[in-house]
Amino acid sequence: MALVHKLLNGTYILRKCPKPRVVFCPFWRTHFADYCSSSFQKPVAAPGKAYSQRKTKGNLEEHHQREVALEITSPEDKPEISFDKAIKEEMKGHFRHLKDDIVNYWIGPEGRPLHEVLMEQAKVVWQFRSKEDLDKWTVTSDKTIGGRSEVFLKMGRNNQSALLYGTLSSEAPQDGESGRSGYCAMVSKILRGPFEMKRSYDWSHFNTLYLRVRGDGRPWMVNIREDTDIVQRKDQMYSYFMFTRGGPYWQEVKIPFSKFFFSNQGRIRDAQYQLPLDKISSIGFTLADKVDGPFFLEIDFIGVFTDPAHTEEFAYENSPELNPRLFK
Amino acid sequence: MSWAQAILLARGLSRGWGGICSTALTGAPFSQVPPQAPRGLRCSAVAHNPDSSLVPRPPEPARRPVKALAVHEELFRPALDGTRDKANFVRAVQNFAEYNVHKRGHVDFIYLALRKMREYGVERDLSVYNLLLDVFPKEVFRPRNIFHSIFIHYPRQQECGIAVLEQMENHGVMPNNETEFLLMQIFGRKSYPMLKLVRMKLWFTRFKNINPFPVPRDLPQDPVDLASLALRHMEPDLSARVTTYQMPLPKDSPDTMDPTETHIVGIQSPEQQSALARHDPVRPIFVEGPFSLWLRDKCVYYHILRADLLPPEEREVEEIPEEWNLYYPMQLDLTYGRSGWDDYKFNIDEVEEGPVFAICVAGAHDQATLAKWIQGLQETNPALARIPVVFRLSGSSGELLASSSELEEPPPPPPEGQEEEEDSQQRQQQGQS
Repeated sequence: MALVHKLLNGTYILRKCPKPRVVFCPFWRTHFADYCSSSFQKPVAAPGKAYSQRKTKGNLEEHHQREVALEITSPEDKPEISFDKAIKEEMKGHFRHLKDDIVNYWIGPEGRPLHEVLMEQAKVVWQFRSKEDLDKWTVTSDKTIGGRSEVFLKMGRNNQSALLYGTLSSEAPQDGESGRSGYCAMVSKILRGPFEMKRSYDWSHFNTLYLRVRGDGRPWMVNIREDTDIVQRKDQMYSYFMFTRGGPYWQEVKIPFSKFFFSNQGRIRDAQYQLPLDKISSIGFTLADKVDGPFFLEIDFIGVFTDPAHTEEFAYENSPELNPRLFK
Repeated sequence: MSWAQAILLARGLSRGWGGICSTALTGAPFSQVPPQAPRGLRCSAVAHNPDSSLVPRPPEPARRPVKALAVHEELFRPALDGTRDKANFVRAVQNFAEYNVHKRGHVDFIYLALRKMREYGVERDLSVYNLLLDVFPKEVFRPRNIFHSIFIHYPRQQECGIAVLEQMENHGVMPNNETEFLLMQIFGRKSYPMLKLVRMKLWFTRFKNINPFPVPRDLPQDPVDLASLALRHMEPDLSARVTTYQMPLPKDSPDTMDPTETHIVGIQSPEQQSALARHDPVRPIFVEGPFSLWLRDKCVYYHILRADLLPPEEREVEEIPEEWNLYYPMQLDLTYGRSGWDDYKFNIDEVEEGPVFAICVAGAHDQATLAKWIQGLQETNPALARIPVVFRLSGSSGELLASSSELEEPPPPPPEGQEEEEDSQQRQQQGQS
């Protein structure tokens, strides 16, 4: 509980020096590759070459075009990478972050002084100004179930936005059990603290989600997932729709958290609950509008803020017809 | 075993028995192909998939390799002589009821009809769905005692009812009272299809009007109308004017595609006009495109005329004129220096981009057509004559459809953000208007 508030700051530090990971490269990168399901991913550093001495940032920029089959972790690289050294670096990194955590706890929640956190009305949670920001997101498509949609994520124009683009294809996979297909999704990675502990976001001071996007007229769905430690909550999420206007102008999308409806395993449930804001694990955007063709979505940043004009607590009431047990 | 597999097994069995029974009863033509063992729904088509599955093709029309026809498919066959439309579909459904007083194989027939709806173009027609639900025998599947209601009574029929409602849901068709009454007659009030209907009524009404930029369901077929709808959709300024610079020529013979005259429709608001008039002729303006805009299921490609952002030193500073009357001030600054809790701005610099002067939708994406657009714009913006126009086009529109299938090079740039690749090519495409 004490460690909960910290880690926005701590995690960003972690992200900025993925040094321990890449030095540890062959094994960690394969782990990473499984995490990102589609093989046509946004740039992933290629570990297979003998670049172990060069540290991470150099790696990321040079190999941003190459996606190597990551299972071919060449064994001849091992002599150049010292296993013990890698482990030590990793451990040192984790302890350093733990120390930062503890220090941040004394400064205040999330490493910022308390008065700043309490009076904050608008906060930028994800921004897209550099390649490291793209690493916080995973893109998936229905290739995982055998479909034919493709999706890519890259930095947009002038490194000032992220561009998610691809092609949607609603051709159902021929595996005899899927009747429909065609979706693409971009999900944020779960926040991690020292020793890869799962962290969550606390947005209880805010009540609206703010996105600055530029789309192509397609309707997207915004999904928020809660803390996924409990296995029963594996497929639960809260969603709402984001309608893009299309056109060359940037669009501000404000979705109050009271509008998110609850769904489990992809189906809207009868019993609707308000989205609890204190343990948010990840956010995702899905496109599944059954229209085949290319799409793109350019995102400038994602933030949360308090809309003082919005007083609604929850938009959906439960009906006694569908849920008689709630009304006993 | 999932219910899909159960249905396949049932189909296999019913092909054996149902086909024979129906021939015996009705004397309808019997398909000579022997019934096949239940397989995956489309597994005979697997062999047709090309190896280069990485290139997404446009969706192919449903190809039917030679295989056994479904049980009642012959009912849909005579309609092939004529056009496929609602009347033929309705007639086929009614024929089923006529030939089959006891409605044998109605579940399979309903599944088949659901699949055929798209070909006949009736998938959004509520009356057709009600007619299809009418195929079910009434009052038979209603639970009559507590044991019926504990277990799922007639599960296959309930699943079929749910499948009908699910297809309605997929196409956004709202059920009405007739649907509810039919379901009540067929399945009873506590059945799963009825529950699904209640859910549909609830969630459809909740989500009916949440689109802040609604697009009409029936899009206009005329390209000029579609273009003006698209432009109005994109442009938030309501005082903008849509002008048609060129109408498409009517095609006399369908064989020759006449590429010279396609439609060009543009939009510009008065503010954009004045901004263009104030634009410095030293700096070039760019025609960028084509970008895609989706209206429901139609894609429209548009181009924009924009200028680059001025560097900070050249931005003109607004002069604040001196207040000549303090009782009626021209500038009123009411920020009373509140403290940190009143700051609703995000702590990030927004992406700044140059101003957009006009947007256009054209049938062709080549420089000649766009040059005509610029010439048309010149009539309302005489300042445009002195400003150099650079065409930054991303190539033929075919490039937009095919994403990268090669691993060696980075995926080809999407519509936006091509400066680093395109600059070298576009320098020789400079046009002076």
